[in-house]
Formats: sequence, structure tokens, C-alpha cells
Amino acid sequence: MITYIIRRVLWGIAMLFLVSLLTFLIFYVFPSADPAILRAGRNASPANIAYIRHELGLDKPIYIQFFRYIKAIVLHFNFGYSFYSGASVLSLIKDRLPATLSLTAGAVVLWVLAGVPVGIISAIKRRTVLDRAAMGGALFFVSMPVYWLGLVVLFLFASDIGKFGIFPGANTYVGLTVNPGKWFTSLILPWFTLAATQAAIYSRLLRGSLIETMGEDYVRTARAKGLPERRVIWRHGVRSAITPVITVLGLDIGALLGGAVLTEIVFGIPGIGRLNFSAIQSTDIPIVQGTTLLAAMFIVVFNIIVDISYAYLDPRVRYS
Amino acid sequence: MRNRLQLAALSLAAASLAVGVAACGSSSKSSTSSSSVTAKIPLKPGENPSSEKLTGGKKGGTLTAFTSIDFAHLDPGESYYTLDYEVVMSTQRPLLTFAPNSSGKIVPDLATAVPTTSNGGITDGGKTVTVHIQKGVRFSPPVNREVTSADVAYAIERAANPNVANPYFSTYLGSASFTPVVGAAKANGGPIAGITTPDKWTIVFHMTKPGAATLVPALTLPISSPLPKEFVAPLDKHSPTTFGTTFLVGTGPYMVKADKTGKIAGIGYQVGKSLTLVRNPNWSASTYTSAYRPPAYLNQINVAIGGDPTVEGLQVLKGSHDVQIDGTPRSDLKLAYDSYPSQLTDTVGTGDFYAALDTAHGVFKNVNLRRALWAATNRQADVTTAGGPLAGLPMTHFIYPGNLGFAQAGGIAGPPFDFNKNVHGNMKVACKYMKLAGFPNCKYTGNQTVQIVGASETPFPEWTQIIDTAATSLGFHTHVTEPSQSVMYTKYCGTPKQEIDICPAVGWIRDFPDPLSILVAPFYGPSIVSTNNSNWPQANIPAVNAAMRKAALVVNPTARAQAWATVDKMLVSQAVAVPEVFSNQPLVQSKNVAGVNDQWNQGLWDFAYTSLK
Repeated sequence: MITYIIRRVLWGIAMLFLVSLLTFLIFYVFPSADPAILRAGRNASPANIAYIRHELGLDKPIYIQFFRYIKAIVLHFNFGYSFYSGASVLSLIKDRLPATLSLTAGAVVLWVLAGVPVGIISAIKRRTVLDRAAMGGALFFVSMPVYWLGLVVLFLFASDIGKFGIFPGANTYVGLTVNPGKWFTSLILPWFTLAATQAAIYSRLLRGSLIETMGEDYVRTARAKGLPERRVIWRHGVRSAITPVITVLGLDIGALLGGAVLTEIVFGIPGIGRLNFSAIQSTDIPIVQGTTLLAAMFIVVFNIIVDISYAYLDPRVRYS
Repeated sequence: MRNRLQLAALSLAAASLAVGVAACGSSSKSSTSSSSVTAKIPLKPGENPSSEKLTGGKKGGTLTAFTSIDFAHLDPGESYYTLDYEVVMSTQRPLLTFAPNSSGKIVPDLATAVPTTSNGGITDGGKTVTVHIQKGVRFSPPVNREVTSADVAYAIERAANPNVANPYFSTYLGSASFTPVVGAAKANGGPIAGITTPDKWTIVFHMTKPGAATLVPALTLPISSPLPKEFVAPLDKHSPTTFGTTFLVGTGPYMVKADKTGKIAGIGYQVGKSLTLVRNPNWSASTYTSAYRPPAYLNQINVAIGGDPTVEGLQVLKGSHDVQIDGTPRSDLKLAYDSYPSQLTDTVGTGDFYAALDTAHGVFKNVNLRRALWAATNRQADVTTAGGPLAGLPMTHFIYPGNLGFAQAGGIAGPPFDFNKNVHGNMKVACKYMKLAGFPNCKYTGNQTVQIVGASETPFPEWTQIIDTAATSLGFHTHVTEPSQSVMYTKYCGTPKQEIDICPAVGWIRDFPDPLSILVAPFYGPSIVSTNNSNWPQANIPAVNAAMRKAALVVNPTARAQAWATVDKMLVSQAVAVPEVFSNQPLVQSKNVAGVNDQWNQGLWDFAYTSLK
């Protein structure tokens, strides 16, 4: 097991190196715009642009530029500085991460708590009214784009602009350490919005997986042995059927920690996603690179966690 | 001189505009026959910023503001964009400024008077400008000391430091100016021979040619705001300077909230998140002689950065927040126009947009093909897609409303060329010019493909489609690319060697109400550079260049207006670009706010005059 983990971590590091190489090539070798011009600002003279090019090391060969880039990340965890504000990308990410973590954590709890039971009940009560209602509801939420759902939720329930003003609306987010009560209430609507679509997806995914699992020979054998149905479902059915759900969950958490762009924008939450969005709008390359690497890192890390968790969840899976 | 980059959230691009509002207007039909601009805009009572009260506001309170995009520079030496001015002009005192709800009335700020020939401020036939500054003005903490004329000279000189790289310096003072300040052409941040300070309260500018008519209005730019060398110089050693991003001091009625060292980063300014303005304890209203002494009613201004402008516009209209400062989306504008007219303001004459045609390469080297495309383009459709009358008017020439020379160049109707007459497009006239270009069937039969690069932000794709439709109707084969606005400028339209035939979403905002600041950078031949080029049509027409050089030296306002109008007409005659929209800036405020718009700055809110009710 330890060997497996070490191997996975090494592959993860290789993957991150590859991602950093790709982002570097995309932004510096095949640039959408000259980084020196972007950094120099409007109306900058050719002399100023040349000065900036030298300052950024863009007049050096590509491999030296990449070496410097990697060296700064590996040795100093330095992702560079914003072209516009001059702020350290790392400091910006550190500043924004708590909001994204708050949003993701609450939403994940919600959608797992909602999606898993609905998926199980639908699978067990297959073709009943309950199943059809649950899957109809799931289809309803799956069909709703997050951005649109966020606006609808705000127009209905936000205390300032909603028809039934119940919860704090957009731009009310405060940090957990600043005011835990306000932190919680400010995230209720974003959590619901983000979780609604995901819960629907997870319930459909688990339903399909569980239906298939419950038809397996070993489940029939368990029943034949006289095990209680509840035990058959939980120990033999769900435990096995949930592995694809866990795989997707790991990827989703990783991706969301890289920024829930639309949700953060609609609700005015100053997270990684909004940082990335505004950086893309202004072609602030260092920030886009930094947040891309961060997202990749989260996905790699959660992939490893998922792979490791398989061993505990599914007795058929063994690592050597 | 300011192009439209990063103004996607401002004016037209920014607000996504008021598409739909046009349908609400009582006069959505456009006419080009009147010389009155405001008469064509369906404003309701309270929507015209000119009538806003400047005095008698309630003192105190905190204004909550939204901007969906972040500020680019808070340093007066670097600031360039309209949004930055919102903060910079509240935290700094340039020598001169504008009356808040006027489009171009210049009044003294740090200076004791606007320099004129009659008050001895302009001498030597317009080659020397002398400005006296107010006594008793002090820098904000932690500097605290009194401002002298040496601080003004230093602020202007540091603008040439490559780590500051002021976007205006070379244009109005340095190598690119028609009338440079002595020694400024080779400045790099150190003392400039042509800027002297004979005493602590006087600064003198010596120019190589009579350039007072350009220099005096240029002293309204933030670059003329005094800065303390002992505080700023160490920060300017960084590339780029950390003054304005990490530390900031100023002289205006407000200051960005800072710690006792003057640090703003993470305190009063959190990149992409928030900006907090508080009162500058060292500011005193008694240090103004102008009748336009800012009342500074508000105690604090909290700006939330980022978020969804559609939601934020609604929050402002419903009253949970006070103002939007970077434009209001079309859906909210429609709602405001229909249901909250007293909370909507619309500032006229905030810039222009046009489709630049490459006059140096490709098919549009032929002036008649350019005229044909102009004639075929439906400029009324540009306005409609932008949002209708609230968003602007069909553009007919390059000096836009509210500027010297606009009326002399033809007003709203523009110069009377046949290809300019019908804003809905006229295929018969287009056909005439196609024939003159050597295409007797009125269709282009050559084998060149027309490259069109337009921005992807709303409403630019629609404008790209409009000009593309006009081009294809004339038989051109086109290839359209639509990157983001910043990429459009930096990679394509601002790089002459890319030889982009049509850039359908470029535009210009003046720096001050003088046509020089509207026409020179985008159309003067010698201003063409290999990168970061703002002369998108690559216009280099000797007669136009000569006329510009001549007009720049004219001092008398009437003669100057006529001279620049002549330049404007020549540019229209040459059809260097197809005009699209004379733009306006609609904005919304809460019912709790007595907002005052800086009409000279795109109509954005003036924090020093705005109050809470």
C-alpha cells in the first residue's frame, strides 16, 4: 500500500510538472498577447516595453524562462506577480482560498447528504412513484445551469432583491473567523445553488450503479444466505456501487477548489474562481497560470485520495 | 489619450448596455438632422446629470459602491482608465480639474487659477505656462507635510521613469508631443530642464513651441498631482513601482484606508475584492479658491469589487447598496428606465466607437472601397444593438459631442459627404464608390480575403456582424476572429504587422475636451508604432498630418475649433474608419443617494460631491 501511495504521489508530481509546462507554453510561448505589452500598460513606448521584457526575462531563451519559472515555484513557491496590481499571485490565492473552501465544503456536504439517499431509495424502489418523482426532480435540477439557478434563487429568496426575502443575498459573504453566524447565513443560498445540480447528478449516478450492483451474483448469494435486506443493500450493494460516485466526488471537489466560477460570481463571493475569471478578462497571465496550477494540484491530490479510499471501500480492489 | 481597453465594463462595452431600452424610448428613431444631442435622448426628469445639485447635501455616512472590474492603477503617475480616475481624483489634487457635472469646464484645484494670457499664466506667445499653487495643502498621513511646487515638478518628472511609465507623458509633454516641454523628450525620471520652480508656490513650464492650448488642459490629468519624493522615490525603484499598489499617499479629500506607514495593500485595498476610502485628515476645504470647492459630504466609501453586475444593479435599484460605478447591464437599465427613472442618469458624449480600416495594407488601401464600406454600413443598427438612444447615437465623424470642434465639424449630422448621410446604410451610394474603385458591378471581385478582428465582449460581436454584413454585401470574402478585447488590441489591432483589414470594436475617450486628445493618437501618421499601436487604421496621410501639426499650435479657441474640425472633415473624407456610435454612459443609483456625475469622466460618480439623502 505504501509503495502504491508513493507511486501515485510521484505520478502526481510528474503530472503537475506537465501541467506547469503546458501552462507555460500556452501563456508564454504561444501567447494570446505579448506579456511585456500587457505588463507595460497602454500607450507604453517601445523603449518601456523593451525594458519590461528585460525585467521579466522574456528576452532570454525559452528553456531558461521555463527553468526560472519552475525554480521560483519549487524553491520559493512563487507563482509570480499580477501584471496589473503587482500583487503576489500566491498572496492572492491565499487570500481567496478560504472563501472557495467554505463554498465547496458546505456544498459537498449538502449534495452528498441529498444525492446519496435519493439515489439509494430510487434504486431500491425502482419504477415506483417515489423513484420517478426523485429522478424527475433530479432531471429538473440537472437541467438548470448553475448561473441561471443562482439568479433565480436570488430573485426569490435574497433578503434585498428577492420576492420572499429570507436569506442574505449576493455580496454578503464574510469570513468564518470574522463572524461565524454571518458566514453561515451568507453561504446558505450559494451552497444550495451549487449543491442542487450536483446532488441531482450524484443521485442518478448512484441509482444506476446500485441497480447494476444489486443484480450481481454475490448480492444474490448474500440474499440466499439469508442476510437481512438492509445489510445486503448497505454492505454488499452500496459499498460496491458507491466507488464510481467517490471517483467523481474526488474530481468534483478538486475542480471546485480550483474555483466555482459561476457561483462565486453570481453571489459575489471573493474566491479563487472569481479571481481566475477577472484575470482571464484582463489577460493577467500570472494569475491565470497560478490558479490553473492550483486547480490541477487539487485534482491530482483528490485523485490520489480517491484511489487510496478504493481499497477501504471496495473489497474487490487490492493494491500491491 | 485613452482607448477603450479594459473598459468593457464601462460605457458601451461595459454595461453590456441597454439593449431593450431603445424600445422603451419615446424617440427611438434616430435623426441626424439636428444639432442638439440631448433632444434625441429619451431622458426622463432626473436622468440628465447636468441638473444635479452640487451644494446642500447631507454630511456624513458611508456610500456602498459596486464595480465588477478591478482598478488598474491608483497611482496618479500610472492611472489611465476611467475607473481609476474615480478613485485617483478623490485622493489626489491635480493642478487643474473639471467642474463635476460639466463635460469640460476647467477649474483650478491645487492651482490658484487657470493659467490664461490675461492673468499672466500664459506668456511668451504660448511657450511658457506659469502656475501658482495653493498654500496650506498637506499630504495625507504618514507624510503630513505641506505641499510645494517641487512636489508637483517631481510628480511630473517621475512619470517618465520606466517603472512608472505614465501613458500620457510622451503624448503631451515629451517626445510625441507637438509642443514638448524643454528637455522632456529625453526624460527618464530625473529633473526636466523645462520645468522650473522659482519659489515654493510656483511652477513654470517652458515649451519648445507655443503649446499652452494643449498643456493647460493637460494639467487636469492626474500626472500633475503633487507627490512627496521622500516617500515615493524608494517605491519607484521596483519594477513596476509599488506606489499605488502597496503604499499610497495623496492630497485629495479622501485617502485609501492605510496603516500608519501608508500601506494600503490588504488594508484599504484588497486586489479584486474591495477598496475603502476614508477622509484624509489633512485635507482642508479652505485650500481651494475655486467656486468649485468640493464639499466631501461622505465619511467613507466602500467599494466592492467583482461580482455579477446584473445582480448588483438590481441591489442598487432596490436600495441595499448605493451606486454602481462601472456601468449597468441592459436588463437593469431597462428596469430603471421603466420603474426607477429618478435613479437613472445618462451622460452624453462619453466617447466614440468605430471600425478601423487598414489604410496601409490590403483592399482598404483604396479610399473608394473604404467609402463604399462606410456607405453600406448600418450605423443605426450599431446603436440599436448597443442599447438604443440611452446608449448613444449613430456616429458621423470623429470629434464626438461635448468637445471643441464638434459643432464646426457638422454636429450630429457630421460632414455632408454622401457616404455619411444615411446612418441606416445606402447601397446605392456604396455602389457608386465600388464603381469608382474599379468594380463596375458594385461587387468586389478581387481574390483578397478581408480579415476582421472584433472583441468578444457584448455588444462587439453584434457590431462585428454588422460590418461583416456590409462587407459581404459588397462582395468581399471575410474571415472573422473574435478574441477578448485585450487580446484584440494587444495581439491584433495594435500590431500593424498583423495587417488586420477591419477592427470593428475600437474606440476612443478624450483626456480633456480638446480635439487634439481625440484625433492625434488614433490618426496621426508619425504616432504609428510597431506594438501597442493606437493608430489602428495606420492612417498616415501627409495632408492630415500637416493639418494636425498646424491645428495643435492654434491658441484662440474659435480658431482652434475650426482648425480641428477641418482635420476631422479630412479624416471623414478619407474614410479611415467606419464610425459606429457616439456613446453615452447610463448609470444607476439607489434612492438613498444624491449622486453627482463627473460628466467629464464618462459620467462616473464624483465621490467628493455625492451625498446620502
